[in-house]
Amino acid sequence: MRFKAYLRAMALGVATSAVMTLTVPAFADDLIMWERSGGNAGMVDRLIEMWNEKNPDRRIQLTYIPHAEMVAKLAQAIASGDVPDLMGLDLIYGPQFEAAGQLVDITDYFKDDPTLKTASPGHMMVATYDDRLYGVPLYADVSALFYNKDLFEKAGLDPDKPPTSLAEVRAYADKITALGGDVKGYFLPGSCAGCNIFTVGPLMWASGATIEPNADGEPLVGDGVKQVLQWARDMIKAGNVHDDARAENGETFHLRFGSGKVGMMGTGNFNITLARDQNPDMNFGIALLPGVEPGSAASFIGGDLVTIPKGSKRVDDAVDFMKFLLSDEVQVEGYAKLLNLTTRSDMTDNQYFEAEPLVQDVAKALSVGRTPYTLTFFEQINSPQGPWLQMLQRAYYTDDDLDEIIAGAQDQMKAIAAQE
Amino acid sequence: MYASRRARLTGLLYLAPALLFVLVFTAWPMVQMAWMSLHSWSIIEPPKWVGLANYLRAWNDRQFWTSLGFTLEYTAWITPVLIVTGYLLALLVVPNTPLRKLTRAVVFVPVVIGLGVSSLLWYWLFSYDFGLVNRALVDLGVVAKPVVWFGEDANRAMWAVITSIVWKVVGFGMLLFVAAMQSIPQEVNEAAMVDGASYWQRVRRITLPLTARTVLLVTLFSIIGSLLAFDQFYLMTAGQPFNKTATSVFWIYLNSFPYLKLGYGAALSLVLAVIILLMTVAQMALARKTHA
Amino acid sequence: MSAEDTLVRPAPRGKDAAQAMPGGRAAYLVGALCMVIIAIMIAPLLVSVAASFKTTAEAAAIPPTWFPHVLSLDSYERLWSYQDGLPTYLFNSAGTAVLTILICLGLTIPAGYALARFPIPGKELLFVFLLLALIIPYQALLTPLFFMFAELRLTNTLAGLAIIHTAIQIPFSIYIMRNSFEAVPRELEEAAVIDGCSSWQVLLRIYLPAIRPAIVTVALFAFITSWNEFLAALVIMNKGSIFTLPLVLAAARQETSIGGTDWGMLQSGITIAIIPCVLFYVLLQKYYVSGFLSGAVK
Repeated sequence: MRFKAYLRAMALGVATSAVMTLTVPAFADDLIMWERSGGNAGMVDRLIEMWNEKNPDRRIQLTYIPHAEMVAKLAQAIASGDVPDLMGLDLIYGPQFEAAGQLVDITDYFKDDPTLKTASPGHMMVATYDDRLYGVPLYADVSALFYNKDLFEKAGLDPDKPPTSLAEVRAYADKITALGGDVKGYFLPGSCAGCNIFTVGPLMWASGATIEPNADGEPLVGDGVKQVLQWARDMIKAGNVHDDARAENGETFHLRFGSGKVGMMGTGNFNITLARDQNPDMNFGIALLPGVEPGSAASFIGGDLVTIPKGSKRVDDAVDFMKFLLSDEVQVEGYAKLLNLTTRSDMTDNQYFEAEPLVQDVAKALSVGRTPYTLTFFEQINSPQGPWLQMLQRAYYTDDDLDEIIAGAQDQMKAIAAQE
Repeated sequence: MYASRRARLTGLLYLAPALLFVLVFTAWPMVQMAWMSLHSWSIIEPPKWVGLANYLRAWNDRQFWTSLGFTLEYTAWITPVLIVTGYLLALLVVPNTPLRKLTRAVVFVPVVIGLGVSSLLWYWLFSYDFGLVNRALVDLGVVAKPVVWFGEDANRAMWAVITSIVWKVVGFGMLLFVAAMQSIPQEVNEAAMVDGASYWQRVRRITLPLTARTVLLVTLFSIIGSLLAFDQFYLMTAGQPFNKTATSVFWIYLNSFPYLKLGYGAALSLVLAVIILLMTVAQMALARKTHA
Repeated sequence: MSAEDTLVRPAPRGKDAAQAMPGGRAAYLVGALCMVIIAIMIAPLLVSVAASFKTTAEAAAIPPTWFPHVLSLDSYERLWSYQDGLPTYLFNSAGTAVLTILICLGLTIPAGYALARFPIPGKELLFVFLLLALIIPYQALLTPLFFMFAELRLTNTLAGLAIIHTAIQIPFSIYIMRNSFEAVPRELEEAAVIDGCSSWQVLLRIYLPAIRPAIVTVALFAFITSWNEFLAALVIMNKGSIFTLPLVLAAARQETSIGGTDWGMLQSGITIAIIPCVLFYVLLQKYYVSGFLSGAVK
């Protein structure tokens, strides 16, 4: 009998405590912040740590959400009325949530704030909707062409002369691939929509094309689209890309360059520290992602905004955290110290960047960078099941007519943009 | 003695909680789904009435048809594989010897673990660099270099998934078949043996006809389960390559949640539910016919 | 003795097929075949558990090793402190499962009693209504359910997820319960009624002990469904701290864009997710098998 009573008590206990934990947050004074999981986690952790040291009475509790789930999770949170106080939002999703009226308007809080004047323009553009401000930069990811100087030398190329046009990339890649072994000249991720907009998108921009729908609602405009697709198809046909790149869905993308088996590839500033960790002896350089014309270049400025979802009860504290991120001290001792880009352009002269020329190289990409602005970025471009990746896959791995492939993607993207 | 009004009321009272639960959490959502399907309903904005526009869009949605086609193709392949493998296994292990009972028990183990978990397990086994399937194939000299299982060829990806699912659920059919076989009266088989029928002759003439109903039943389970496939593809192929392996439920999930189109997702759900209902009814009609 | 002896009630069976096959060679062949099958079925689980004990470096080795060269608990340590920590996720998974079992039993025991023993008007129709979930897959209902739950503040709660898991389990559980109530001899009940017991007392004193196997079966299946379920959890739970185990594993694998897959940690998570299922299966095989058989052969 007693055993039964135990069981009953236990069952009851589990049930009630289960219900309790759902309703009572761990510490009432903490701010809850969500951020997408990814390679910048280390730095975001550090930023939060710095804040928490200074603000023991209003610490931030950070939760990471899988990147592919972020839009869905935030939307679900909004629908359930159970939102975090702060949200690290992939900047390209900014417009979608701003347009839906789901973020707190912070324009008035930042009226006279001088730090915003130098804040990353790409971030500021997507953080602004109808002249109102909804977020500030959390961090910047910028894409560039990384190249392996050791392999350049082995292949008889000048390690101080990175390619400046797609034709040169192709020629260099051929030479590096010819080294044989497990070494290939270039890398193109076959199953990762986000990696491609980040690293192949700029090749198209540099070749004079646009990707997301332009002012007239036309996506994928310009010969550059086809030229880059043809170039990529040829690269793969020539054996310049590892076979398993086809299955690259983003899970190992960041580890490719540091493996030392890739001659050149488009990747981002986060890869500097990562490649150093992975392969301390490897010599590498950073150049701009080129287009068809020699000397042309472009870059994708990505990264995150920090925003306040509507329903947050801690707007004042959240705004303080935003100002904290933009402060001189955090710019230098937070971002720069970890060799990440500062989110303010006037903070690049610092001791840490001086000691690491590669960061200065990658920062050059900021001047040729852009950030696409569309309300349905995820569905059109970033979704692993969206038209952008499908177009690339067909271009990379089939012999279908390129014009037809592009036309198909245009139709799909327009259909998505037209939907309400 | 219970045939009183009071007994009826008491009975209803006992039944009421379950009825209420089904009403609120199954029946009502069905109605709501129909209602939602007539709206443009983003999670983050208020709904707008659009009439049948969502259904019209489904009709013109190429990916919806591709997904449905792939789901049917997957179902058409995996169902016979499951039935045949399960049936052969059942024939092998039907006698109650210790070794066979052990085999039965072991074959059934994967049935009890989660589909999500087993999909992750097989995702690892089939991984290009880290997977033991490639390691085994290379070691045995079957292939010269690792195979890209997921993301390159839709058929190859589908068969890798099928392999994992057969491993996962074959024990289910096997168990039902064993039970059906064991309930065949001993005398029937003995009579046939006296007549000099060989083992396979008896399987064909006695076992198969007498277990036909169970075969149909397992077929029905397999068909419904496969038409609703999600976990395995979401976790293993992510719909790649070219979205060719994105199943119907996958496409519904994508539209409803990541793409924030609940109304459209509801319309697609309703279409799928009707398709499955039709299949179930057809199967049951068929079963009744066989039975009679 | 093994529970599977009693796979079928009208039972006593000979050693027919083996007997029927000519001689010893066939028996050896069958034996060998059984062993091969056992090996094939066990291998994936075995290598996964083995991989969970590899060191971090070995777990990420290319090509992979078959078995760990050095045993290590690295992966488990990382899993222990992954994001909100393994204890949180175990608690979420177990809590949902317990709630599912409680709700499921709380609804279906009285319902089974009513269906089997009371002259309810339109009983067959009501029974079919309770099986409604069979004709409409819950996957299709998630969209409206999500919205309803959002309004009821049931998203991000274990109770909300348990409700969906119960909805999945209702038809099976009702069916099992009704059958086992019907199988109890009426004489027992009649004696009790003569003694002046109310229907509630009859349920508690006479039926509950008699239908214990059905209770175990229903609870077991509710546990398995709830512990393993993925899609509803994916839709309903959107806070890391409230994730269930399968969600965390999927999330750990999907550390996309940058971060990579921690294969060792994934294996340790898979191992931990599998343990209770296999354990219950081994301990309660009888209930499993009877549940599957009676649930399926309707």
